[in-house]
Amino acid sequence: MHSADGSRPWTFYFFAAFFGLFVAFLYGPMVVIYVLSFQGPTGGMTFPLNGVSLHWFDALISQSRVGDIAGSFQRSIVLAAVVAVVTVLVSVLAGLAFRRPFRGSAFAFYLAIASLIMPGLFVGLGIALTFRLLGLPTGWYSSGLGAQLTWTLPFGLLIMFAVLGRFNRSYEEAATDLGATNWQKLKEVTIPMLLPGIIGVALFGFTLSYDEIARTALAAGAKNTLPLEIWAMTTNVTSPTLYAVGAVTTIVSFFVIVVALTSIGAIQRRRSRSNT
Amino acid sequence: MTQATGSGAIGGGQVEVAGVTKRFGETVAVKELSLTIPHGSYCCLLGPSGCGKTTILRMIAGHENPTTGDVRIGGRSVVGLPQVERGTAMMFQSYALFPHRSVLDNVAFALKVRGIGLPARHNQARELLAKVQLEKFANRLPAELSGGQQQRVALARALITNPRVLLLDEPLSALDEYLRLRMRGELRRVQKELGITFVHVTHTQLEAIAVADMVVVMAQGRIEQAASARDIFVAPRNAYVARFVGGQNVLSGTVESTMNGMAAVASDKGARFAFPVGEIRPARGAKLYGSIRRDRIGVEKMLPGAKPAGGLNTTVGEVHTLENQGSYVKVTIDLDNGEEFVAHVPDDTFFRNPLDIGDKVEARWSASDVKLLDDGPIAFEAAAVEARAASAD
Ligand SMILES: Nc1ncnc2c1ncn2[C@@H]1O[C@H](COP(=O)(O)OP(=O)(O)OP(=O)(O)O)[C@@H](O)[C@H]1O
Ligand SMILES: [Mg+2]
Repeated sequence: MHSADGSRPWTFYFFAAFFGLFVAFLYGPMVVIYVLSFQGPTGGMTFPLNGVSLHWFDALISQSRVGDIAGSFQRSIVLAAVVAVVTVLVSVLAGLAFRRPFRGSAFAFYLAIASLIMPGLFVGLGIALTFRLLGLPTGWYSSGLGAQLTWTLPFGLLIMFAVLGRFNRSYEEAATDLGATNWQKLKEVTIPMLLPGIIGVALFGFTLSYDEIARTALAAGAKNTLPLEIWAMTTNVTSPTLYAVGAVTTIVSFFVIVVALTSIGAIQRRRSRSNT
Repeated sequence: MTQATGSGAIGGGQVEVAGVTKRFGETVAVKELSLTIPHGSYCCLLGPSGCGKTTILRMIAGHENPTTGDVRIGGRSVVGLPQVERGTAMMFQSYALFPHRSVLDNVAFALKVRGIGLPARHNQARELLAKVQLEKFANRLPAELSGGQQQRVALARALITNPRVLLLDEPLSALDEYLRLRMRGELRRVQKELGITFVHVTHTQLEAIAVADMVVVMAQGRIEQAASARDIFVAPRNAYVARFVGGQNVLSGTVESTMNGMAAVASDKGARFAFPVGEIRPARGAKLYGSIRRDRIGVEKMLPGAKPAGGLNTTVGEVHTLENQGSYVKVTIDLDNGEEFVAHVPDDTFFRNPLDIGDKVEARWSASDVKLLDDGPIAFEAAAVEARAASAD
């Protein structure tokens, strides 16, 4: 609020400065990385730019010594998609189930949520040890997938709780009243009405998986996921290729988010086109 | 209207609630309640918040099961039957129109889940939309309609299965005053046209009296009176109904003497009334309750210093508020004992000799307009008669 002489109170400047700092910390380094990824062929890992080129993006694809970027990228996308699907399936069904109180429901809920507060590195370590103990081979698609689900499922469940908390039961009763079977009720009313929330869960599952390190690191087995590959590169790759990797992976993340948000937006708009 | 599923043919739309109790954990929402709603009648469940109206409706619809007791529709017990086999349809309080479906698809929903093809179900839905004057809005989404239009869509959607009983939970509460009055007439018209049973839950006394053939006044999970709308208004059974439905003043006093079917009763403040008691011979000193209609009361200004004329069937007080209602003036009188007494004075009578707030007035009425209420010892007597009859067989 403006004071009488038109100047703003000191809190305005304090919080404006804080917000400015936050934005600088968040986007500054990213911008630097994107700019440096267009470094000329003779440039190094720091400024100044020695010309502008796509050289390092090219190197990303062609050079084998930068590591298995293409392979790890493929694994990460597949893994993230699988995690998103499993997270959606399990948390939607669990969310629906938790609407009806059953014996031990509170216990089951806390048991599921507890994995959010366990240190991720140890969850991954424990999973890897258990696999070894049982004589099963660890791999990104088995132990790695499991490790990531311990992280995404509780999140998905919490989101579904929030979504279902605002969902009025009378829509489902109306469907039953009009003769819908349980399956028709789910398919024709519940799922379509919850769809924006479900897309949100999928998006969350995907992005949480796509950049997960702590739980995956020790449970992924021999083949790396993309974040693990990049992590390894930071220690042994000394060219702007690293920046090119950063730029490409961010674009993928952005793409996923934009697709999710526009589809949610389209659904909401369709439902609430105003009377005007 | 075309018969969609022919559920109307299963049997009559008589609804019987037989000795039903419904508990939710510790709460008893409905207590030992019995009620028969004749086929083709318009029944209103009326009562204060939390008295169990919605619970009864939901048990008829099959969204809840009675803890004990039976619900029968068309003579057949429906407890445990799925909604579809009951031949009931429900109109929800907030309408519960599916926000992601067009008006047409909302109305056609019941046909869709019965596996009826798109052209056929859209044709039927269009016919029904035409009936509620909404064919122009068929392709809109519910959010693009006004409250009154949404209400009509909900009605059309509920009617497409040709139910024998339509259950309406406060169907008008989301509308403004003007629409509420129009829509209640509309509901009554539709009910008459279809000849099916309507069970309509409401808080509003005048709404119930305006539309219903039969009004059921409830309190705390029990029925206080189930009677025709006219009887509920002019002959409330007890003080609760008289007070809740309004339009009546409740009088009370102890019996001094009884003669020729009239009891002379004295109130705590010494006012003396005559109650017609018919065959009943209440004991001296017994407390009796009676009601007198607001529009059967004459109000006269007392000149300053004048003693009340006294006599039978009068009471004295001070004018508290005056509300001009057009054809009559509502005069609220504070009685000496702190109670409120309301008289509806016809406008021409009132304005011939207008009153002012604060005026000392005497209200008077004719003993034959007083109705004895079923409270106090009278109620015990009636209960005792019932108990004797029950033990006799
Ligand atoms: N699902 C439920 N679980 C627990 N208690 C319930 C449930 N449904 C209703 N009740 C209780 O039963 C009683 C009757 O509720 P009901 O909804 O039938 O009242 P109502 O007459 O429809 O009230 P209103 O006019 O406010 O809608 C209330 O005390 C309510 O709290
Ligand atoms: Mg209710």
